[in-house]
Amino acid sequence: MAPKYKLTYFNVRARAEPTRLLFAAAGVEYEDVRVLREEWPALKPNTPMGNLPILEVDGVTLSQSMSIARFVARETGMDGKTKLERAQADAFVDELQGLVPKLGVLLIFTTDEKEKEEKAKEVDQLIEEKLGKCEKLSGADGHLVGNSLLWCDLVLYNIAQTIEEIYKPGTLQNYPKLAKVYATVKANPRIAKWNAERPTGKIDI
Amino acid sequence: MPAYKLTYFNVRGRGELIRLLFAAGEIPYEDVRIESDNWPELKPKTPMGQVPILEVDGEVICQSMAIARFVAREAGLLGKTHLDQARADMLLDGGIDVGKLFEEMVMEKDASKKAEKKKEFGEKTLPPFLALYEGFAGDNGYFVGYSLTWSDIAFFNMMDFITAEFPSALDGYCNLTKVIKIVKRVPGIAKWLKERPITDN
Repeated sequence: MAPKYKLTYFNVRARAEPTRLLFAAAGVEYEDVRVLREEWPALKPNTPMGNLPILEVDGVTLSQSMSIARFVARETGMDGKTKLERAQADAFVDELQGLVPKLGVLLIFTTDEKEKEEKAKEVDQLIEEKLGKCEKLSGADGHLVGNSLLWCDLVLYNIAQTIEEIYKPGTLQNYPKLAKVYATVKANPRIAKWNAERPTGKIDI
Repeated sequence: MPAYKLTYFNVRGRGELIRLLFAAGEIPYEDVRIESDNWPELKPKTPMGQVPILEVDGEVICQSMAIARFVAREAGLLGKTHLDQARADMLLDGGIDVGKLFEEMVMEKDASKKAEKKKEFGEKTLPPFLALYEGFAGDNGYFVGYSLTWSDIAFFNMMDFITAEFPSALDGYCNLTKVIKIVKRVPGIAKWLKERPITDN
């Protein structure tokens, strides 16, 4: 029997990885479709808003990466234990997610050296601002909110993975509580298994 | 009943959706509006150095959309199923980029740049967005299913800003016009629209 959920995105982490991490953490099967750049123009008009990721479930197609991630978080019980936790998780995601497109543009789409330097300055400033705010509000025990793994931890993990493994390793040392969240997610057996087995593109961002 | 206290500037801006949701749910709350002069003193006391913030029984929530979603849930306007909720979320997210471009245009201080941005917005940005959303809106006047959700109210709020600059934007869009009509008639919202402070933005 086909899995209930079908996720479609490019062969990168970026905007779809929080959703993939949620499925992995919850042990929920799904179809993980990765389209090639050449295939995209033909697929685009068949998506609700002309962008990816999309999630197909029960005959409905959802778009907008964070709406999709929040949906899967709700389905798997990882959106928050109380109304307040849900709001706090939302707030962390809203603050952090802006880093994903900025890192993507810098690391993949900017080739001119001078432009790269300027963009890097902007990204560094944003990282400092956003991680600083999140460090201040984060829980101290390896979770951003409450005492259980929530989708906001996975959103942070995805971004931190790009920063720590590709962009500027060592950045998280300045943010000890966030570093603990990163380490906690990384050590989760289901996440570790996913990381070992997942497909990777040319640039793993 | 919990005690709700919203703190924001005396503008509609990023606070108005929250106020509309409280109104729609007929939920009493304290609508605190701070002066710009008082902001520097308050800023470090907020979770992320920004407003709006919502205090609920002593806990503080930040980020305007996180607050709006919280209040939408309290008002029973989130969506009935997880799928409905996701559809509402997605429609809201889809409007954010358009909202940002509109905001950029309004805030532009250079007159000729502003005129250029306004032309670009009115001719290139807005029409495809409205055409797309006309298709998303049901012909019964709801974006999600057969009842009011916060996505209808968010669309109304956004168009409230946009039609101030582009009064005939919704001409010809039957479904979207219906959405606006229905939202305006929600009793709590009708009351709020009559009573709310009048601000430039």
